[in-house]
Amino acid sequence: MTLIFKQLFNFLKMLNSDTGHNQLAAGLACGLILGFAPFFSLQTVLVLTLIFIFRIQMGAAFLAAFFFKFVAYLADPVSHELGKAVLENPSLRDLFVDMYNMPILPFTRFNNSIVMGSLVLSVALAPIMFFVFRALIIKYRILVVDRFKSTKAWKAFKATTIYNWYTKYDALYG
Amino acid sequence: MSESKTTSTAEKPKKRKGPIRWEAIIPFTIIVILIGLYFKLFFDSNMRSLAEFVGYQATGAEVNVHQLETSFTNASIRIAGIEMTNPDKPTHNNLNIGEIRFSLLWDALLRMKFVINEAAIENISFDQPRKQKGKVKPPEPEKESALKQEAEKLKNETLESAKTKYDDNVFGNIANMMTGSSESDEIKKLENKLVSKEKMKAFETALKEKQKNWEERLKKLPKASEFQALGDRLKKVKSSGFSKPEDVQKSISEVQTIMAEGQKKIDEVNATKNDFDKDIKLTDDGLKDIRAQIEQDIKDLQAHFKIPKIDAKSIAVTLFKRYTNPYFAKINHYKALLYKYAPPNIVDKNDKPEVKIQPRARENGTTYEFGKLNAYPTFWLKKALISSKLNSSDPNSKNGNLKGEITDVTTNQLVTGKPTVASVTGDFPSEKIEGIDFKLKFDNRTKDAIINTSFGVKSFAISAKEIMNTPDIAMSFASAIGGLRSNLELKNYKELSLKVNNEFKDVDYQVTAKNKDVESILVNVFKEARTTNMVAEGKGNLPHFDLDISSDLGERIQRGFEKEINAKIEELKKKIKEYVDAEINKQKEQIEKQVNELRSKAEGELKKVQEQAEAQKKLAENKINEAKSDIENRMNAEKAKAQAEANRRLKEEENKAKKAAEDEAKKQAEKLKKRLGF
Repeated sequence: MTLIFKQLFNFLKMLNSDTGHNQLAAGLACGLILGFAPFFSLQTVLVLTLIFIFRIQMGAAFLAAFFFKFVAYLADPVSHELGKAVLENPSLRDLFVDMYNMPILPFTRFNNSIVMGSLVLSVALAPIMFFVFRALIIKYRILVVDRFKSTKAWKAFKATTIYNWYTKYDALYG
Repeated sequence: MSESKTTSTAEKPKKRKGPIRWEAIIPFTIIVILIGLYFKLFFDSNMRSLAEFVGYQATGAEVNVHQLETSFTNASIRIAGIEMTNPDKPTHNNLNIGEIRFSLLWDALLRMKFVINEAAIENISFDQPRKQKGKVKPPEPEKESALKQEAEKLKNETLESAKTKYDDNVFGNIANMMTGSSESDEIKKLENKLVSKEKMKAFETALKEKQKNWEERLKKLPKASEFQALGDRLKKVKSSGFSKPEDVQKSISEVQTIMAEGQKKIDEVNATKNDFDKDIKLTDDGLKDIRAQIEQDIKDLQAHFKIPKIDAKSIAVTLFKRYTNPYFAKINHYKALLYKYAPPNIVDKNDKPEVKIQPRARENGTTYEFGKLNAYPTFWLKKALISSKLNSSDPNSKNGNLKGEITDVTTNQLVTGKPTVASVTGDFPSEKIEGIDFKLKFDNRTKDAIINTSFGVKSFAISAKEIMNTPDIAMSFASAIGGLRSNLELKNYKELSLKVNNEFKDVDYQVTAKNKDVESILVNVFKEARTTNMVAEGKGNLPHFDLDISSDLGERIQRGFEKEINAKIEELKKKIKEYVDAEINKQKEQIEKQVNELRSKAEGELKKVQEQAEAQKKLAENKINEAKSDIENRMNAEKAKAQAEANRRLKEEENKAKKAAEDEAKKQAEKLKKRLGF
């Protein structure tokens, strides 16, 4: 839990800094996939591994996963219909038979209509959402963070000892 | 100096981090290694403890697992030395299993399927003594959940019904009836209730009245002298030698007058006879009625003594109660466990589920199976072996030779195309159990899932089984050889039907009773039942099903008792007959004698008078006939005489005419000759 909170603070800190907009956008996009996928599935493991190995912002991913779980929950009927259409497609039947009897792949639970629908939706949306999130972050930094930093209140706060202590602590322990 | 140092520190560019999070991969690797070590070093022992704990909670008695080994690379598990304590006898185990081992196929595991090529359960034994007394779970606190209460209720249901339904003293009641009655006293008490006796008294009075009446009527009948007088008068009437026809007429009129007088007397006699016949018929009917009443009285007397009809079924149930109750207790124990742990879709649990605050579950969607023939189903136990070998070095070993196998246990029989089949055969020589044969077939390929099992034991020894123990009577199987065959069918996991057929041969009963007469009766009765059976049948929807026990032992005992009872009944009948003979038949015979006397006397008298009347009537008729014939003879003689005279005269006339004709003819002929010149 501490790790998750730490990641969430890091997310806020990074969001308000000048760097890492790609990491944040990638984290949010991965969170979208995590939110749409069932917890015990191969795709969850794969995305978590990617997040873990590559420098993708974990806090953003977890926060997005939490948020997109609700979206996925609301989108279940759509996912079901979409997954059903894909799984019942006769031209894909042989492929699914092979996939079903292939090693590893059945762990994706692709043979469930909602899982399949959610997977299709999330995989299709993830790259688009990556660029959308990236653009939104840059916009946020210009419109919100820069303006906030130029306010007198922020400058006055920056001049306090508490802020100095905080920056020192942050530099030492991260 | 310090200023310049501070500036250099602030301006020092941060080291740019690469895209891979190396600082996290190393700790992660360490964690994985630690987990691996845990599985290698501690997992097996923890699993063993968990298995013991779960077993203890589930069975309510200590469960020991001596060894548990798992292997990740082989995906295998091996459990050795399983001991399940008998909660009713903690010094012994309900079940011992030497070893269970099986391994999963990695090829299937990688496909998210569980395929076991071969599993083995070896060295199974039952009722083995434990090294140390097993721990038994203390009873649950009083405050129990509705579910638990329901399970307990089910467990006790059958036992309670067996306790209240049948009375242990079934033979005591019958034997008391057979030995403790004093019929003669009872019959004496019933003497005044005999209807036939009352009827006979009334009949006798009526008969005496009739006798008197008839004697009077017989006295009034026409006397012989009267008929004789009529005869004399008839003799005097002229019946021949009539000179004039008027005389004939006179005689006939006189005879007819006498005959009319005689006929009047005959009619009187006949009317009396008819009345007498009617009366005699009424008397006979009365006698018949009395005889029927006597029969009815005998039946009423027998009914008063309530000769019992023995219920074979209740005898069998009572006798087998002590034998079957421990087994019923076990069945109910496991029935309760089934009720407790089976999911609600299989067992209808009447209690409402606890409502918890929880988010609405996500939709389940539709899960498709893209199986193909000869692919792996989600779970598939291809073959499991089970065995138990007799330990020949230990003469007291209770182990037996058991061999069994289960094939094709799977979650999708349509993919494997095979039903699940299990079979176990073997024997336990030390326990004198031979020919154990268990077969199971579970077929889920059709619409209705059917589980079919049969279990049989060719023979098993039964020694010293108490079947009844009351203050008056004690009974037991001193020894017997049993055989068992049972069939169970479970349809759609709910509809259960069960039939168990127990055969008992060479049954040696030991009967002792306070009353020696009862003992001798029971010994005789049970001689009929050295071979017997017990059939238990049950049907119902789980967890509710009732077992019904029947046995030909009841019938055999019934036959034995009937034999004894019939002898008693015959004895009782004889006594009643003797009583009836003594009290009623004498009276009856006397009445019949009186009736016969009356009949013979009246009939003789009437017959005599009738004969006389008929004789006189005949005489009169003869007289009339005589007169008639005399007249006819005379008339015929006169008629013949007149006829002869007429004939003579006619002939004379004919001769005269003939001669005249001949003369004339001659004349004519002469004339003709002359003309012709002859």
